[in-house]
Amino acid sequence: MMSKTIVGVLLALACSQPLQALGSDMVVIVSARNPNDTMHAGQVADIFLGQSGRFPDGSLASAIDQPIGAPQRDAFYLKVTAKSPALVKAYWTKMIFTGRGQPPREVRDSVAVRKLVADNPGLIGYIEHDALDASVKAVLVVR
Amino acid sequence: MMFMKKWPSLLLAVRGACLLMIVLASRSAAAQAEPMPVWTFGGFGTAGLVQSSERQADYSANVINPGEAGYTDRWSASVDSRVGAQLGVAITPRWSAVLQVISERNLQNSYRPVVEWANINYQATPELNLRLGRIALPIYLAGDYRKAGYALPWVRPPVEVYGSLPVANSDGIDASYRWQAGAANNLTQVFYGHTSVQTDDSGKRARARQLMGLSNTTTYGAFTIRASALTAELTVDLARPLFDAFRQFGPQGTLIAERYDADHKRVGIANIGVSYDNGVWFVQAEGSRMNARSFLGDKSSMYASGGYRLGDWTPYATYGRVVANVPIHSDGLDASRLPAQAGASAAYLNAQLNGLLGRIAVQHSVSSGVRWDFLPDYALKLQYDRLRPTGGSSGTLINVQPGFRSGRPVHVVSFALDFVF
Repeated sequence: MMSKTIVGVLLALACSQPLQALGSDMVVIVSARNPNDTMHAGQVADIFLGQSGRFPDGSLASAIDQPIGAPQRDAFYLKVTAKSPALVKAYWTKMIFTGRGQPPREVRDSVAVRKLVADNPGLIGYIEHDALDASVKAVLVVR
Repeated sequence: MMFMKKWPSLLLAVRGACLLMIVLASRSAAAQAEPMPVWTFGGFGTAGLVQSSERQADYSANVINPGEAGYTDRWSASVDSRVGAQLGVAITPRWSAVLQVISERNLQNSYRPVVEWANINYQATPELNLRLGRIALPIYLAGDYRKAGYALPWVRPPVEVYGSLPVANSDGIDASYRWQAGAANNLTQVFYGHTSVQTDDSGKRARARQLMGLSNTTTYGAFTIRASALTAELTVDLARPLFDAFRQFGPQGTLIAERYDADHKRVGIANIGVSYDNGVWFVQAEGSRMNARSFLGDKSSMYASGGYRLGDWTPYATYGRVVANVPIHSDGLDASRLPAQAGASAAYLNAQLNGLLGRIAVQHSVSSGVRWDFLPDYALKLQYDRLRPTGGSSGTLINVQPGFRSGRPVHVVSFALDFVF
């Protein structure tokens, strides 16, 4: 536990800029029509890192990412997968050149993520809390 | 024309893969939520420069991609330099294909690009994946991406362990299945196929048939554990004339030939690797055994490595070791019981045989280096290796000259610029 905290602090220090740029908490969202109501960080991380293709209820899941360099993206990966942007990059380099998959589809911004996720119960994304509306629901609050 | 003559199977593989991609792409249903097919293109490369203090042999990362640092050249670019490109297409949510082509120095002294992978992928369920074609061998922790230097902390995977399996792919099928055990993610993979490498200009080859294996990768938080095993029937043409000559010497010669010739010999590799990487620091260790039941030896190898990330800088250190589980010397033919002329031939053959056995790597090494991620998609590495082949072995060195003496330390300095695109 102790070492996890230290790691978290070090990672947070290394990436403090995106966190400051982000005014509010992040939420992981699925479509309002998706039957899953809550998820824990490990389940979300598995889907975003291509380790799992399903929601907790067994239905198919695909992740939607924000663009490289977006503060939402950096904060999300840091807090949910404990990976800095460089490590996420290294992770996908391994996955791509192992023939094990491609990173999630990227869209422009939080509004685009919300729109796409709202329309498709098979998708999962992340946006800042302020960007939430009734078309989607938060399955995890990222702090 | 020369190209066509020498590489018919390669050309067919490329043509086949391209054709299949086009056919499947044109047949893909238009009624997808996301526009299909989705094409991806990427690549990786390394520009490397290596100096070795040993002037009586060449330092190399891999025997089938021979480096030339030490004896041939004072500074060699051929140890680590390569470029690879990868084209992928997702035709439907279930069907995809990937083609990877790599150019690196080969045993014919050229950088002719070869098809590293060309496979069709069927995602039967989100958990079950089937592949057909030329596929990466999932042996060793970094086995599937060992040529993508950017994905490695070091300039090259530790030679003591990774040198035991120079090939990185096979032609055949594989199936992989994802499963969860609590918070641990598992990927279990089985594979079957064959592979072949041309070892000289006259068409001699090394062939692995009935190549089959099993690999399981567990990820649990910052931990990754992979256990893998492979077996194949191996035939290496290169030393055939030597063993044919031994067979001329009656039963004692035949006995030697049967023991050491790599002629339809069952080779086995078992490996376990553990890595812990929390983002700030990492440690990684692997242990491996390779038994070729031939002049290629029976070897146990291991390495342990660790590194610490300080912003864009990652210093690291590694200890590696390989030992032989069989004698690397043979008494050979008993020349005293032969007529003088035959005795001289026997002595010559014995010397040749012991020359081969001395290539079975017995070596330990310490390395330290630093990786600098100076730009996104680029990493610069500087590494120092101090290796010592012992017990009469030339270790992982190649192109060994008569003046080579086992037991002396070899100092190797490497620069590498790794990139991905």
